[in-house]
Amino acid sequence: MHDLLEVKDISKTFKAKAGDVTAVDNVNLSARKGEVTVIVGPSGSGKTTLLYLIGSLEEPDEGGIEVFGEDICLSGADLIQFRRKRVGFVFQFFNLITALTALENVTLPMDLADGSSRGQHERAVELLARMGIDGRLQKAKANKMSGGEKQRVAIARALANDPDIILADEPTGNLDTATGKVVVDILVELARRDGKCVIIVTHDESILEAADWAYHMQDGRLEGIDIKEGSSP
Amino acid sequence: MRSINRGLRSFRRHPLRNLVVVLLLFVCLTFSLSMLAVKLAADSQVEEVKQSVGNYAEIRVSSDYQMAVFEEELSQEESERAAQARTMSDEEMLEQMTRFLVPEDLADLFSQQSEIVTYDKVLETRISLDDIENTQMETMVSMRERGPQGEAPTALSSSSFTFEGNTDGSSVSDFMLGNKVLVEGSFYAYQDYLDANPVVLMEKTLAEENELEVGDTVTAKISGESGRDADVELTIVGIYESVEAEQQAEGSNTETFNPMGDTFYAPLSVVQELNSTPGYVELGSYYFDSVDSTGALQQAFDAEIADGDTYELATDYSDYEAIADPLLKVGKTSMIGLAGALGACALIILLAMAIIIGGRTRELGVLKAIGATDRQVIAQYAVEVVCICLVAIVLATGVTALISQSVGDWLLSGNQAAETTDTGEEGMVAGGPSQFMGGPMGGGSNLYKEGGRFSVASSEDQSASLDVVYQGSMLLYGILILLGISLLGMVVPLIWITRLRPARVLSME
Ligand SMILES: Nc1ncnc2c1ncn2[C@@H]1O[C@H](COP(=O)(O)OP(=O)(O)O)[C@@H](O)[C@H]1O
Ligand SMILES: [Mg+2]
Repeated sequence: MHDLLEVKDISKTFKAKAGDVTAVDNVNLSARKGEVTVIVGPSGSGKTTLLYLIGSLEEPDEGGIEVFGEDICLSGADLIQFRRKRVGFVFQFFNLITALTALENVTLPMDLADGSSRGQHERAVELLARMGIDGRLQKAKANKMSGGEKQRVAIARALANDPDIILADEPTGNLDTATGKVVVDILVELARRDGKCVIIVTHDESILEAADWAYHMQDGRLEGIDIKEGSSP
Repeated sequence: MRSINRGLRSFRRHPLRNLVVVLLLFVCLTFSLSMLAVKLAADSQVEEVKQSVGNYAEIRVSSDYQMAVFEEELSQEESERAAQARTMSDEEMLEQMTRFLVPEDLADLFSQQSEIVTYDKVLETRISLDDIENTQMETMVSMRERGPQGEAPTALSSSSFTFEGNTDGSSVSDFMLGNKVLVEGSFYAYQDYLDANPVVLMEKTLAEENELEVGDTVTAKISGESGRDADVELTIVGIYESVEAEQQAEGSNTETFNPMGDTFYAPLSVVQELNSTPGYVELGSYYFDSVDSTGALQQAFDAEIADGDTYELATDYSDYEAIADPLLKVGKTSMIGLAGALGACALIILLAMAIIIGGRTRELGVLKAIGATDRQVIAQYAVEVVCICLVAIVLATGVTALISQSVGDWLLSGNQAAETTDTGEEGMVAGGPSQFMGGPMGGGSNLYKEGGRFSVASSEDQSASLDVVYQGSMLLYGILILLGISLLGMVVPLIWITRLRPARVLSME
């Protein structure tokens, strides 16, 4: 069971003046290392909230999350270490630090986790090269880059500390179809080749093609989708 | 270390933003530091003034007592008094002679007060010197006769001379003030006073007119009212010259103008003998540590010395006030300026914080999402703020060093201008009591301590200067000020940083 990420009966309600919103409503989910899990659903259905719950950026009201046998919702859980070493985020709006270069953005998580050291630079160069960001582009400021380049830098950053889990929130939302496809292919490769547990949430149903496991989300509730028929090997 | 590095890199990455903040901070900080420098200088100078001006007191017979005695005497018949005088014993005679004098031991007693630094005892009288002619005085007298109200002052007899006695020739106020200088021979010393050596200092012109030199003697006549006549041989040990005669004549105090040089200076004990009043002085004069001690000394005097209202302790700190007031005002003004400037500094720091952090909410969220601790984030931003502050401090301390003296002078001149216009009349009033003081201070209103720094001689010079000594400690103050303010300025962002939930900002467009 140690390659299983399990979300158990998790709920999250936001209190707002207009009325409480249950963004995530009693959700159960499991995802495996080496596989791509895709959650589709319309805007406002609670996808981002669910992803942040898994990534420990939000705290659930109820339920628990077990990551490869370790409950991250326990009060003693080291969330800082979890964020640093276990998960890597990829966002719709990239969330790169615009004043930093591509290289610096990728070095940053390593720097935060372990302090500056020689190996970090080499690793950042390597990761960026793998994402197709080479040479001079690595030294370019993040805000000078195209959307596709930014998202590839963001993926390199997510991989910086070699996490088991990649959480991608609308990774293609701000990209044209062709560039979006490249990004999805990279994410799929991370699962297949590197054995990462990749979870993608999106409203773009076309990404379902890349999924090993798929879910549909509506009004905070999650439902499995059977996608295996015909397409699976 | 890494957070510091990140902060430094972040600082270098925003040159324009930093420039704006640094400039604003620099202006306010320069202002603060200048004000602080001026304030410190003003304070220390006031302290100095306290120790050199107005820290003078005299013990003498009180004016009330004098008036009472005069009134009593006036009520007596002339014949009554004459009869009384004939029947007086020696003791009664002495009592009569010394009724306006202060017992010497009383002056000595008061000198034991711990606040008193130096003291002197003075007796002034007029003595006949039969073998000396004061030719210049005659010239002077005839010159006065030429005036419209030409009337020869009868008191100025040519064989009568002023004798001033004190315990040490060199501390005679005229010599200390530089109104008179010794040109030949030497001063009589404290020992001469103790031994009652019959020595005198004589004016140069008078000596020349009478062909006298150092080492010669003059004969003084003691013609006491008791009828005992005696001659005392006085040896001339020094010859002095009056200087600043012009300046003195210009000044309001013509009494000190002594072109005839009819004043002899001698050991107090000798003058007491010539005056037939051994053990009595006209006044005791005291220099004490600071103007601040005036009250304490007055209390001590009232408690231990005063003896009813026969004697009084006369103090005069109007000079101190005249000099210190502008300085105190400068101090106050600069404090207000300092407070304002510090407020402005605080605002700018807050603004800087808002710019540095507020504009980077997303960055903050990202840092937290990828595992930065609050401490790492705070350290990084703090380094940026510190860098900005440091640059501002270095600039500001440098510029403050250049301008603080001018700022101080400017503030001082403003306050002094106000002073001269609104205290013109007060000055006149202040002249009153100090003129009454007379005695060794030559009737001038200025009382100075030996070697005092504020040895101004006329009211025109009676202004303070402000030395804004720029010390390295200013840099320290600058750093402390900014540190304090930036710590204050950090509180809000700090709370904000720790409260910020990354989830709130990461999905923002
Ligand atoms: N911090 C929040 N405070 C209040 N309501 C929120 C907050 N975050 C999300 N919501 C609400 O929760 C619901 C789900 O939001 P979200 O998870 O962003 O959906 P999705 O990512 O599927 O568009 C929405 O109705 C949204 O308005
Ligand atoms: Mg969303």
